[in-house]
Amino acid sequence: MTRNFAAWPIILLLTVLSLPLFIMYLFLLVDTFSNTAPGSLLPNEFTLEHWRFLIDPTITGDVWKPTLTTVIFSASLMIIVVSVSATAGYALSRLALPFRRFVLSGIMVMHAFPSVTLIIGVFLVLQFAGLYNSLTGVILVKASLMLPFGIWIMKGFYDAVPWEIEMAGVQDGASRFTVWRRIILPQVKPGLLSLALFAFIDGWSEYMLPRILAPSSDFEVLSMYLNTVSDPNSSTYNFNIFKSVGLFYTLPVLALFVLFQNRLMNIFGGGTKG
Amino acid sequence: MVLLLGFFFLPVVLTSVFAFTNMSTATGISGGSYVVTGNLLRSLKDEGLDAKTIDALGQSSYVIDQAGLEKAHAAGVDARFITEIAERLKDRSFTSSTAFERELKTLPSRPTRVRDLKIAAGAFEQSVLNVRYASRGEMEAALTHMLENPPEGAIEKVATASYTGWTWTTENFKNLVITPDTWRIIGNTVFYVVLTLAFNVLVGLFLAITTFYLPPAGSGFFSVLWLLPRITPVVLYAVMWKWFTWEDGFVFNIAQDLGLPAFNYMKGSVASAWTVVILVNGFVGASFGMILFSGALKAIPVQQLWASEVDGASRWQQIRYIILPHMRWPILFVTSYQTLSLLSSYEQIWLTTNGGPGSTTTVWALEAFKTALNNYTGNLQYGLGAAMALILVAVGLILSIVYLRLFRFDEMMSKPKIEF
Amino acid sequence: MQISINNFTKTFDGTPVIDDMNLTIRDGEMLALLGPSGCGKSTTLFTISGIHRMDKGQLMFGDRDVSGLPSQKRNVGVVFQNYALYPHMNVFENIAFPLTVRKDNKADIDREVRFIAALTHISELLERRPGQLSGGQQQRVALARALVRKPDVLLLDEPLANLDAKLRLEMRSEIRRIQLETGITAVLVTHDQVEAMSMCDRIAIMKKGEIVQIDTPADMYSNPRTSFVAGFLGNPPISLLNGIAMGNTFSIAPIKLRVPLGSHEGIADGTPLKLGVRPEHFGPEGDIAVEGKITFAETQGRENLYDVELADGSVLRSIQPAARNWKLGEPVRWFIDSKSAFVFSDDGLRL
Repeated sequence: MTRNFAAWPIILLLTVLSLPLFIMYLFLLVDTFSNTAPGSLLPNEFTLEHWRFLIDPTITGDVWKPTLTTVIFSASLMIIVVSVSATAGYALSRLALPFRRFVLSGIMVMHAFPSVTLIIGVFLVLQFAGLYNSLTGVILVKASLMLPFGIWIMKGFYDAVPWEIEMAGVQDGASRFTVWRRIILPQVKPGLLSLALFAFIDGWSEYMLPRILAPSSDFEVLSMYLNTVSDPNSSTYNFNIFKSVGLFYTLPVLALFVLFQNRLMNIFGGGTKG
Repeated sequence: MVLLLGFFFLPVVLTSVFAFTNMSTATGISGGSYVVTGNLLRSLKDEGLDAKTIDALGQSSYVIDQAGLEKAHAAGVDARFITEIAERLKDRSFTSSTAFERELKTLPSRPTRVRDLKIAAGAFEQSVLNVRYASRGEMEAALTHMLENPPEGAIEKVATASYTGWTWTTENFKNLVITPDTWRIIGNTVFYVVLTLAFNVLVGLFLAITTFYLPPAGSGFFSVLWLLPRITPVVLYAVMWKWFTWEDGFVFNIAQDLGLPAFNYMKGSVASAWTVVILVNGFVGASFGMILFSGALKAIPVQQLWASEVDGASRWQQIRYIILPHMRWPILFVTSYQTLSLLSSYEQIWLTTNGGPGSTTTVWALEAFKTALNNYTGNLQYGLGAAMALILVAVGLILSIVYLRLFRFDEMMSKPKIEF
Repeated sequence: MQISINNFTKTFDGTPVIDDMNLTIRDGEMLALLGPSGCGKSTTLFTISGIHRMDKGQLMFGDRDVSGLPSQKRNVGVVFQNYALYPHMNVFENIAFPLTVRKDNKADIDREVRFIAALTHISELLERRPGQLSGGQQQRVALARALVRKPDVLLLDEPLANLDAKLRLEMRSEIRRIQLETGITAVLVTHDQVEAMSMCDRIAIMKKGEIVQIDTPADMYSNPRTSFVAGFLGNPPISLLNGIAMGNTFSIAPIKLRVPLGSHEGIADGTPLKLGVRPEHFGPEGDIAVEGKITFAETQGRENLYDVELADGSVLRSIQPAARNWKLGEPVRWFIDSKSAFVFSDDGLRL
């Protein structure tokens, strides 16, 4: 673009709008490495003491166990979502299944449908299934809530693979399964990767489901851990420590996002173009 | 598929089923049993059940019969003592424990310790009080056994009242309609959805257009900054807002330095609480709009923009006549999609103001969630919560179907091309 | 191997595409399915390949009925319009794929692939990926992949449509050469009459799901059965004049044009007819004189192309050696070679 039209008021407005975000994230970073005198805004000394929680479980409780739980949670979620979506997405995109139309519309409605409204029903299902208060239950619920989205995204990626390639495979004598595994799956690798990343990040950030569906269990994910640490009514409450914990908790997500920004962009847009 | 059925279809069905029950923590979620408790008797008395029946229900009696003898045997009472009871007291009954125990003490092989005597006596006690019956039939049989000449309908009344499980009811919906709170919460919800949506769409559009015109470095910085709330885990995002607006938080300190009123902005006043709620959700949602709008902007053939500049259009005219018309569908899409998710989302509100101060920032979804799964009184009202959720589910279903009709539904349905 | 299609019927979503079609492709011949888009030629091809199911009818490979068999059990090689190479495999793996899924041993695969690569002149490309190949090279790879497992029949779906003009010429003769060398039965689907005529032993012209005529290119050109066939073959295309039968001649009264109907006797006077005249049969030499004016002239190098407008407004096309130039607007008195002209009835059937 050539001329910059009366740019400064616009940029000013943009800056003012962005200010809260900027301040929050800036101080998130700064405060974890510094101390600030009470009532003051600017830090006055550099310190690493807020990161001691990593090695000293007496400050906020052991952080590594929740971390491990969170990794297990996110990884299983990722595996379930990716494997089911990869197969179901293909089946829905390419195979002449009975009730295909019906299933497709169902998935689409579920995709658009706000699944949190189901939480009460899900809670009762888990109670009946005896999976209440268990990690397995939470993983299953979270995975199922993500599946319509995942299947939908994968279907989009499969739809974009030319039919001719699939026909050529069939023509070359390969069974549909072989065609899927050896020819089509490599074509949707970018989609699989994006979905895997998204599932992992989403699982990593999940707070509500573990909190509601497994409130009194003996496992704790990082989000719950962080919320306990940051409760203003708790005795260990300290802005700087919860920020360190928060940053520690968020770093993997941020790292993944920075590394794969372009891949994730499409999916963060709700997969509407997928 | 099983999972999907299990966690989508089943919850929907259950939600609608439970919406018509009075299920709560007190009733449990599986079937209940029949128990007459002291509390129940008191409330029955208040409801006007005659005193004689209530006394009778509250009393215990002691009958020496075969069942009692077996019970005593099972309780480990001395066999000789049991034989004596059977021989001497068979088929007698006593109306109070003192009378029965006095009688027992007269027997030759009575136990020496009082506790053993009481155990023996207890075996013959007959009472409905605090006894759990699995079915209504058993409860009624026990009541009939206990009461001599009960008044008309008393047994049925007691049996019904003694049920501890959940029952079918449409009370939930009646209550919702008559409670004034309902309308206030609906008002809150509409207020919240409309304002947040406006923020999302307008700011999203503004961001998309400005970052489109800014040089790459600047636009990159702003788009990443605005994407952060979306990728930040919701807990951290919420506590960052707490840090920003809480007592001794960032805004608090600034306001103090400037001599402005400083208080807990998140929960201190209704106006500030609403501002926070809308901003918290708005900042997350704006990036959604930004991504979609940016995509749509990039899809505009750049020749059109060049042509308009050659034709002498100013930036404003360019935006007004070229860019905005291209944005019509994306805007409609973002609006409908966000309406749906805002209606049903409560995570951020829950983690920040938690609906307060009071219940001024409570929206429908949050209220349903709190009623059913998360309140401090401890009695979770699944039934009422499900009724509230059901309304949301219905609205959600209708909206999502409408929205699928609007946006390329059939296009995704094309038939498979390999016919074997 | 001889392929025969008997009483083949196909509908898509209630719309009939092919209606009761019969076609036999002889062993070792190359047959073109030629027709405008939507005529059902690709549907026929994909039915032979096993992608589409027949609603009714029978498909025989030799004396084996394959109507109910899926593609995998038919042993058919297909070259797709966009080649459909597997983007994540290199050329060798692409060609080897049909053999790998058949679980041939490594040494055999290697030998077969190198043999077929030599035949298609791509031996030096085996390590490349499809994305690094030109259109013509991709075409050769697709051919090699289709041929490597020695299919009973080779199907080519508009194989030249995505190539530029020069490559098209080259691949035209290449495909024909390879087909002749392997002696394979082949079916070519195309909408380009030049391709069909230059590459194939026989042409089946299709229109609205039916085969209108099936013949060798030369016979089809010199002896079209309908005006549709006559119009489809030949470039520049044939000119059609509307007239009536009058005293055993084709006549356009206002311009006093009379062309003898010769052997076609007994046509009632006044019956509407069409006269088809190919551009090479209209010019300064011939037997039936026509007067008109040149309204269009185009130099093609060796030849010139003219449109001559007659007094009643109808137009005859002519192609002439470049030696003599007529100018736009120039009045001419040229002649129709009446023995080479075709007479069609009003509904297009050749008389």
